[in-house]
Amino acid sequence: MAQAENGATGVTADGLEVSTEKVEILPGASTDLTAMTFAIHNEDHTLGNALRHCIMQNPDVEFCGYSVPHPSLQKIHLRIQTLTTTTALDALNKGLSDLYGMCEHMLTEFEDVMRNGDYQIVDDDEATATTS
Amino acid sequence: MAFNAYDSTLAPGADEPQIHIREITDDVLDFVLSNTDLSVANSLRRAMIAEVPTIAIDIVQIESNTSVLADEFLAHRLGMIPLQSINADRMKYTRDCSCIQACENCTVELTLNVKCTEDRTLEVTSRDLMSSDPKVLPVLSDPDDQGILIVKLRKGQEIKVNCLAKKGVAKEHAKWSPVSAIGFEYDPHNRLRHTHLWVEEDPAIEWPLSHNAVEEPSDAAYDYKAEPNRFYFRVETVGSLPPEQVFTGAVRVLQDKLGTMQIKLKEDDEPENNGFNAMGDPQDGIFNSQDGWNNF
Repeated sequence: MAQAENGATGVTADGLEVSTEKVEILPGASTDLTAMTFAIHNEDHTLGNALRHCIMQNPDVEFCGYSVPHPSLQKIHLRIQTLTTTTALDALNKGLSDLYGMCEHMLTEFEDVMRNGDYQIVDDDEATATTS
Repeated sequence: MAFNAYDSTLAPGADEPQIHIREITDDVLDFVLSNTDLSVANSLRRAMIAEVPTIAIDIVQIESNTSVLADEFLAHRLGMIPLQSINADRMKYTRDCSCIQACENCTVELTLNVKCTEDRTLEVTSRDLMSSDPKVLPVLSDPDDQGILIVKLRKGQEIKVNCLAKKGVAKEHAKWSPVSAIGFEYDPHNRLRHTHLWVEEDPAIEWPLSHNAVEEPSDAAYDYKAEPNRFYFRVETVGSLPPEQVFTGAVRVLQDKLGTMQIKLKEDDEPENNGFNAMGDPQDGIFNSQDGWNNF
């Protein structure tokens, strides 16, 4: 029952059992919900490292780390341990929205700089003319 | 401050990333990303290289090939030709499309039909590719560009192929990468000692400074607590997308990843809160339920 509820599984053509969920909570989480390991499927260092950094900014988070358990498995494991003031799931959600906000800020910042023309435009032909 | 409300002692905006664009050309974007963490800068770099979707030839049907190149060799060369991919946003991945192999929503057809009839070598280039979509053409850097050489034909040889170009990302195949390279550097003076410089006598002579070195002071004493803070990017595209779109595309890809995760977590959480779970405990569904950790 537990499996069906949280980690729906499917079988690939090779007969490998794979989870079809995006995020799973791995067995072994603490009963007070402050410590959990999440398996995030189809993600790698691109998301893992930045997300880990954002979660670690949270003062309620005691520990956060991630790993790619095997290079041929398309997933990462993200471990979060928090103080009793929050839960690991809340810390994950906070980290996700923080990083989202940071991306949003980078986008607007970039678009602002582009709009204000606050940069140097180099003409391709001139550039090649000077280097040659 | 949308993303960090942890340290109230910071001035508003003090923890927000900043961007300074140093140079833009048709295929290069040089910028400095500062006031952020190495992990975030690296995510951006990785997303720009491998996750921004473009269009590239994926399936090649060969009707006739009497050139000196083998069919698979030719197909590989065709795949590597950059195609204008501004429209990639509006295209579907074939795996998400309702068609079986190809339709106008997920595929652009390009044909190459060249025969050498003269008594001299004929160069077949990307300019000879005819596209079904005027917005998805092989990239040319300027009107005088001769195009990319695909194969040379002698008298009597011909190639007749039909190519299906698909939307894709470079983590599947590098031909979909919008960039040829991204220069990425931080701490040009190696003040953080992240690099061990091999020297014979004097590192100042044997290790010439990068052009980014003028942006930072060199004199500071070693601070073991210091973190990298300024990141120098030089995005060099292959021409399929303008460099500023590679940047915005990469940030959106990161946002998409975060967004889908947020939605999935919410979906996992909600059925219980709506009372669909007979157990009634809102925390139950988060776990593999009570018996979930007993058998661990």
